[in-house]
Amino acid sequence: MLPGVVGLIQATEIIKLILEGGAPLIGRLLLYDAMKMNFKEVRVRKDPECALCGEHPSVTELIDYKAFCDVPLPGAELPEEIDEAEFELSPREFKDAMDQDPSAVLVDVRETFEWDICRIDGAQLMPLSSFDPTTTGLDPEARIYLYCYKGKRSMLALKELKRAGFNKLKNLSGGIYLWAEEVDSDMPQY
Amino acid sequence: MKLNNEEINRYSRHLTLPEVGMAGQLEIKESRVLMIGAGGLGSPLGMYLGAVGVGKIGLVDFDVVDHTNLHRQIAHTTADEGRPKVESLRDTILAGNPNIEVEIHNTRLERDNVLDLFSQYDIIADGSDNFETRYLINDAAFFSKKPLVSASIFRFQGQITIFSPETGGPCYRCLYSEPPPAALVPS
Repeated sequence: MLPGVVGLIQATEIIKLILEGGAPLIGRLLLYDAMKMNFKEVRVRKDPECALCGEHPSVTELIDYKAFCDVPLPGAELPEEIDEAEFELSPREFKDAMDQDPSAVLVDVRETFEWDICRIDGAQLMPLSSFDPTTTGLDPEARIYLYCYKGKRSMLALKELKRAGFNKLKNLSGGIYLWAEEVDSDMPQY
Repeated sequence: MKLNNEEINRYSRHLTLPEVGMAGQLEIKESRVLMIGAGGLGSPLGMYLGAVGVGKIGLVDFDVVDHTNLHRQIAHTTADEGRPKVESLRDTILAGNPNIEVEIHNTRLERDNVLDLFSQYDIIADGSDNFETRYLINDAAFFSKKPLVSASIFRFQGQITIFSPETGGPCYRCLYSEPPPAALVPS
């Protein structure tokens, strides 16, 4: 419902611009909070140092926006390069491997709200947002099977575990999303 | 440009408002608005702009309607699943008001098509969902000297403003000179 409220304020401002009526939201940023159900207004000013509309612009034509937005996390070290393919299993391979391995440990790195929607039987929840390979209680010698929603976050967790000395690691390629398509048709997709 | 009798009847509650009136309604009919995004924000925005009689509405989006869109992108119905969003939204707008023109651009907005598109409209409405496109739209609106009515939402919060640096206000870059690190951007 939030987009309805916001989209209609946008529509209202457009009609006011066309009619040149009322006080337009120029120089004012309107903030709407649906949970608190309040509106706040922040005055916003032109920045004389702005790279585009400032006094000495450095952006004088359209640029490469993909490169511009590809900003690295401050202080982030480059992750150790590993061959991801070596750890990936398709949903069917993932299931067969676990079925043949009674000591397999299945780890779900999604967040709690996702766990509440659906999960693979026998999994342990270790959300990536608070994932710390040193305090998982997992045995570094155990065979660990990781999954998330589509396979990216579990690969990040896999890399952290690998750096922490774990070696028997597998990742569910395509995540629980693809699992629902290829292994368990009763599982919902979200 | 004049209103026909059907339009006079349709817009009569506008025509009797002194702040709009016949002159205002004709201004609305002569205006051209380009909307980027035909999803959550674009649905109500397009439906209302069409209903009130904006003469030409342009829609830019490259996405198709997905089942998970339906609970909030109200211009699209269950029967529209799999259709391009611009087609679905156009049909909904025209069903509401057949007097207007809706031009669809089933494409991603890029550096090489944005200025040509913007030149065909008077006002730009940003309902896009990523930083790359927001900066592209901001810069192109500035170079085109078109007001940019910008809205964004995240979880339970929304932000709306008009960027119009040529009339003294700020642009998007005045507020956000640099994008956040890519790893922190929610997908």
